[in-house]
Amino acid sequence: MKRVYQTAGLCFVGLSAFVVWESWTLEYYTNLGPGPGFFPLWLGVVMGALSLAWFVQVSGRKGGPDDVAILPERAGILRILSTLAALAAMAGLMNLFGFQLAMFLLLVFLLKVLGRQALWVTLVVALLGSVGVYHLFGAYLDVPLPAAAVKLLANLGL
Amino acid sequence: MELFEHLLFGTQTLFTPVNLAFCFIGVLMGTLVGVLPGLGPTAAIALLLPATFHTPPVASIIMLAGIYYGAMYGGSTTSILVNIPGEAASVITCLDGYQMALQGRAGPALGIAAFGSFIAGTISVVGLMLIAPPLAKFALAFGPPEYFSLMLMGVVVLIYLGSGSILKALMMAVFGLLVGTIGQDSISGTLRLTFGIRELYDGVGLIPAIMGLFGVSEVISNVEQAIKTEIISAKARNLMPNRQDWRDSFWPIIRGSVLGFFIGILPGPSSTISSFSSYALEKKVSGNPAKFGKGAIEGVAGPEAANNAATGGSFIPLLTLGIPANAVTALLLGAFMIHGVTPGPLLISKHPDLFWGTVMSMYLGNIMLLILNLPLIGLWVQVLRVPYPILFPLILLFCLVGVFSLNFSQAEVGLMIGFGAFGYAARKFQFELAPLVLALVIGPMIENYLRLSLIISRGSPWIFFRRPISAVFILITLTLLFSPFMPRIGRSRERFQ
Repeated sequence: MKRVYQTAGLCFVGLSAFVVWESWTLEYYTNLGPGPGFFPLWLGVVMGALSLAWFVQVSGRKGGPDDVAILPERAGILRILSTLAALAAMAGLMNLFGFQLAMFLLLVFLLKVLGRQALWVTLVVALLGSVGVYHLFGAYLDVPLPAAAVKLLANLGL
Repeated sequence: MELFEHLLFGTQTLFTPVNLAFCFIGVLMGTLVGVLPGLGPTAAIALLLPATFHTPPVASIIMLAGIYYGAMYGGSTTSILVNIPGEAASVITCLDGYQMALQGRAGPALGIAAFGSFIAGTISVVGLMLIAPPLAKFALAFGPPEYFSLMLMGVVVLIYLGSGSILKALMMAVFGLLVGTIGQDSISGTLRLTFGIRELYDGVGLIPAIMGLFGVSEVISNVEQAIKTEIISAKARNLMPNRQDWRDSFWPIIRGSVLGFFIGILPGPSSTISSFSSYALEKKVSGNPAKFGKGAIEGVAGPEAANNAATGGSFIPLLTLGIPANAVTALLLGAFMIHGVTPGPLLISKHPDLFWGTVMSMYLGNIMLLILNLPLIGLWVQVLRVPYPILFPLILLFCLVGVFSLNFSQAEVGLMIGFGAFGYAARKFQFELAPLVLALVIGPMIENYLRLSLIISRGSPWIFFRRPISAVFILITLTLLFSPFMPRIGRSRERFQ
């Protein structure tokens, strides 16, 4: 467990170093006052110091009642990754397949595969959440959600 | 007389069909959110922020404010009926509220929670109405150094009053400030930390970040465990407290209201702190402290009054100084900014409809909540029957649609997912997210005030110490920052927690 915390600490240290390096290339001070590099540079320095302090703190800790299992179980990792992947796929395919189809597929996946819901529940919720929301936003809230870019799907009203 | 005119103006502003409807929607959503464990006012406001884009500013703020104080009403329902707090602020209500339910007295517990919340909410709105205008006048004396030091102090106080490690909370706050620097510098126009990504030129959007940190990460945290279909059943009858219940609850409600209101003004998780503080106070002043934890109605009345009063108090720094005291008011500040309104000392004079309309909506909202909460408790209990496997896809749906409808940007949806993953990791490593959100919202303002102050002083940092008000804020900030090294103050923090 200690190694996981240390890795996280080092990530923050790395991020801080990167921010300091990037800020160094910006103007630190101008005739008028602090430049665009001033604030992020100091934030990077402070962040680096805090991250190092945390790294030292977790490295020196022997372990105790506050230590909880950081890494999820394999099944949990799969559920998390598949949820994130489904979200990312939906975001990527929304403009291509249209909101209705993309959201329908996402909801079916989340409800049926992850949530193990009954088929009729899945279909009802997925339809309401995709087609229903599409028309609700378009007709009443004046927010046009994307239609399908693929001609075949667009001809189907998606 | 002037106050009466303002109230009349506020009433005229409120009593339009649109504003009344949004007030009702806000308190209804707030109660619903409060009833549902795991979905707090922060997430609810984050999810509904995009929906307010196309609505007038007054209606939007009325609705979002209604969600905030409505959630405090709803949170007590599940605490009392099924020993599951709907909100962090309702945790303490479980101790005696659930015991009352086991003794067949769920009805009076729910009734006194609702009435106590109503009385406290009303008292806190009166306090807001009386204190906000003179405080706003005082704040007109503030310049950039005062605003910088006050905002910095606000972030540090929030960190200090949090429950976790100060070091990790500071890291989150600094990270939030860093994220706020991404994009085009407002003074020079230089691009910072954008990595050549065009969508980041305008900076990291507040909505995608908040939706990710609270909505998506919450879902991922729950998905990590096997998604259980849990159905909760609960019953409640005869909601009216009897005469003895009222006699026992009257002074706890009054004490809780006053205590909660003043704690609400302070930065930090004020509703939670106020409810715990009220419980401790009632136990201390009680003639029979042993009865607490076994179904003492004072243990419900005081804390529920306190957490509601705290919501009214927390509006004071937001509306008069433009400084949010916690994550929820930080989101409300975001809502103001989205609508082009700058909260602060000039809000009352420049946007009197917004200020007085919101104040009056809180009066009316409290009445609506009292009416909603008592007869509809059976309905709220039914909501608990919605299994989480159905709820979490709907939450993700709201998040996706909410973010996408902002700018129709897939990049922002990607940003939300990224923040979701970060928020999940932060929770696993026990980092608090409230300092990050607060810093993200006010970070750009902190930087601007800092740079303006240094321009005024020609680069001398002593400007923050030469001006008395700023010096006081800086002194408090430094004391709290170095408190871990001062044993006496460190022990006070532990006692406070």
